[in-house]
Amino acid sequence: MTLLEIFDPKAAPKPIGIDLGTTHSLVACVQDERPYAISDCDFEVLLPSVVAYGPKGAVEVGKLAKARASDHPRETIVSVKRFMGRGADDPETLRLGPYKFLAPKEGEANVVRFDVGDRVVTPIEVSADILRTLKRLAEDELRAVGGAVITVPAYFDDAQRQATKDAGRLAGLEVLRLLNEPTAAALAYGLDKKQNGTFAVYDLGGGTFDITILLLDDGVFQVKSTGGDSALGGDDMDRALADVIFERFGWGEKEKNDPSLVRVVLDQARAIKHGLTTSLEVEAEIVAGKSVTFTRVEFDGLIGKLLERTGVACRRALKDAALKPADLDGVILVGGSTRVPAVRTYVKSLFGREPLADIDPDQVVALGAALQANLLAGEARDDILLLDVTPLSLGIEVGGGVVDKILPRNTTTPTGARATYTTQEDQQTGFEIHVVQGERELAADCRSLARFTLKGIPPMPAGMAKLEVTFRVDADGLLTVHAREETTGIEQNVSVKPSFGLDDAAVERMLMEALDHGETDLKARRLAENRVEAGRIVQATQKALAVDAELLADGDLVRIQAAIAALEAACRADEPSRIHHLIEELDLASKEFATRRMNRAIARAIEGRRVTDVEGGLSTH
Amino acid sequence: MDPFATLGLERTFKLDLRAVEKTHRELSRALHPDRYMSSGASERRDALTRAVEVNEAWRVVRDPIRRAEALFTLAGIAVGDTHEPKPAASLLMDMMEQRETLAEVRAKRDLAGVQGLVDEMTVRQQKIEAALGDAFEASKGDHDALTAFVAKLGELRYYRRFLEEASAIVDDLGAPS
Repeated sequence: MTLLEIFDPKAAPKPIGIDLGTTHSLVACVQDERPYAISDCDFEVLLPSVVAYGPKGAVEVGKLAKARASDHPRETIVSVKRFMGRGADDPETLRLGPYKFLAPKEGEANVVRFDVGDRVVTPIEVSADILRTLKRLAEDELRAVGGAVITVPAYFDDAQRQATKDAGRLAGLEVLRLLNEPTAAALAYGLDKKQNGTFAVYDLGGGTFDITILLLDDGVFQVKSTGGDSALGGDDMDRALADVIFERFGWGEKEKNDPSLVRVVLDQARAIKHGLTTSLEVEAEIVAGKSVTFTRVEFDGLIGKLLERTGVACRRALKDAALKPADLDGVILVGGSTRVPAVRTYVKSLFGREPLADIDPDQVVALGAALQANLLAGEARDDILLLDVTPLSLGIEVGGGVVDKILPRNTTTPTGARATYTTQEDQQTGFEIHVVQGERELAADCRSLARFTLKGIPPMPAGMAKLEVTFRVDADGLLTVHAREETTGIEQNVSVKPSFGLDDAAVERMLMEALDHGETDLKARRLAENRVEAGRIVQATQKALAVDAELLADGDLVRIQAAIAALEAACRADEPSRIHHLIEELDLASKEFATRRMNRAIARAIEGRRVTDVEGGLSTH
Repeated sequence: MDPFATLGLERTFKLDLRAVEKTHRELSRALHPDRYMSSGASERRDALTRAVEVNEAWRVVRDPIRRAEALFTLAGIAVGDTHEPKPAASLLMDMMEQRETLAEVRAKRDLAGVQGLVDEMTVRQQKIEAALGDAFEASKGDHDALTAFVAKLGELRYYRRFLEEASAIVDDLGAPS
């Protein structure tokens, strides 16, 4: 960093990448094309994903919160990621842990709620507190933070992804993209090594497991298949050890319901696990006068079943990609839990080769996220592209509770599917549709995403009304639904009520509450957001004008430049709605020009010419 | 939607999938939402719609069954459960026998036996695919010439289902490949 940058009061906002992990989180950025993790004032880059709620609205995140965990186990939330996007009655809430959960009241969304003393928080809010801390850390380093890429396990379902995105919004971040963790890691490795080939990314974190098979070719990172388990990780190793500890001391239900003791045992279990990475035997004093000893062999025996579960997912992912282990050019290890020697041995035997771990497995995901954020902000080479897939099949419940799969897993995103329905009864004016995600035959065995009712179908004899429902999964892996009655052409934007999660209004309300001064703050925030957006669009339009001038029709240039001038003038004033309006005007003025550009890009792609070749070549750095 | 037109391909069953994959990748490069992060709303929407179309088209074209379905549909021949002719009795008998053999080797946990059946069925599948390829080529899109081949599509579906079942059994018997 140069002195100039340090003292520049109007530093341009920089994009950031965030790894919102189960055990710890971190933020990274790119400087001179190199990604690096941002450290705190103690030179530490890993922020423990622990949030402690104190009296009078006090919130502590990270190390200090972690230190409070054993004395305030109920008010200190550890591994909140495991609760993201889950319902209040999810089995995850019944497992060994110190928390006090509250059931949702009548009419409240079905999400996990922690009772932390003088208030109740949802996993989205807890995650937002972690993200806010990371945002501040990044602001200290970069002064102004632009958009953020937040990583999620590839195997996260729609509800878990939506919850993560909501947490980002709540923390005041502009979420550019949700990026799958293994893909992020592959980006960090791929750009570092400049190697083409097929790779497997084995990502075992604190609470989630992902396996991703991807092809790196000519700057495109194409995910072939992905699989995993969004409730399998280092935490489960700790719990397996903790169970044995409880057993050895003859502790039963009474002790298991003592939150402080549970916290202490879980923490000690983790310490034992860490110790066994380098030692063959570890002794630990759990409480005064009570010690346990574990050997690595014992520990390996305890986690054997967990590793087998990862093996099943790996074999299936290979099969989905139509590959054999020998076809791979490399296996990449990601996530802190891959430090466990038994994990490395297992991966080696599974794939028949020594896995790569030369980029710090705790940091590699954040580094990849920062690279992607930089790409999305248009600040890097534009020959890199990530093509990801849907992790789970998407289906609709039909008669008898059976799932009609409409989008198979491992479909490249963005993607969509249509399904046509017809009325079963005369004069039927409504339809209930249940959307699920998963591979099982019965809807009850899959994950419920949303239920919604289509209303306002004109009364007709049975079978006459034809409803076309369109599903779309965007590049974040998020689902939207649109419905249309074909005979009358009645369009309906379906508001999807998520089975698990908060609706838009609830998030908006939380956002308002989080802002100290309500209205004015919100207006200031809108103004800032609109200005940033306007700046981005003006810049992109000007670039397009320069590059594709020959595609301008008569009058285009004058019209577009006038729209730009008007927008720029509006940005100097402070009325967000006017900026918004003029952004739309510019959009309209350049619409036909944009369409012509897109058509040409498509024609060139079909001819087999690289877009980047045409636009003046790769930027060579 | 004509998936062949979307990918700039001729309407044909015999395709060089590697070349099509490359075209899909270049189209993704041109249309992926990541490329339009700074664009105005309508351009972003437009690109997204087209990117979705391209991905859907690739999903159809890469899969022999979906590809054949698309070609029949484009030739004005309805396909799908209720439209296709009933499978020949001989095919049904044959598949029943194959299924029984599969169940027997499964009960014996005879992985090599399952694999043998899979290999046999894969060869049959390839033969039908080749026949379909020839048929589409010879018909030049002629409606009547093609209608005679719809039954082959049904046959392909039976083989696919059998192979999926066998594949699940291989997984079950816990065989790492």
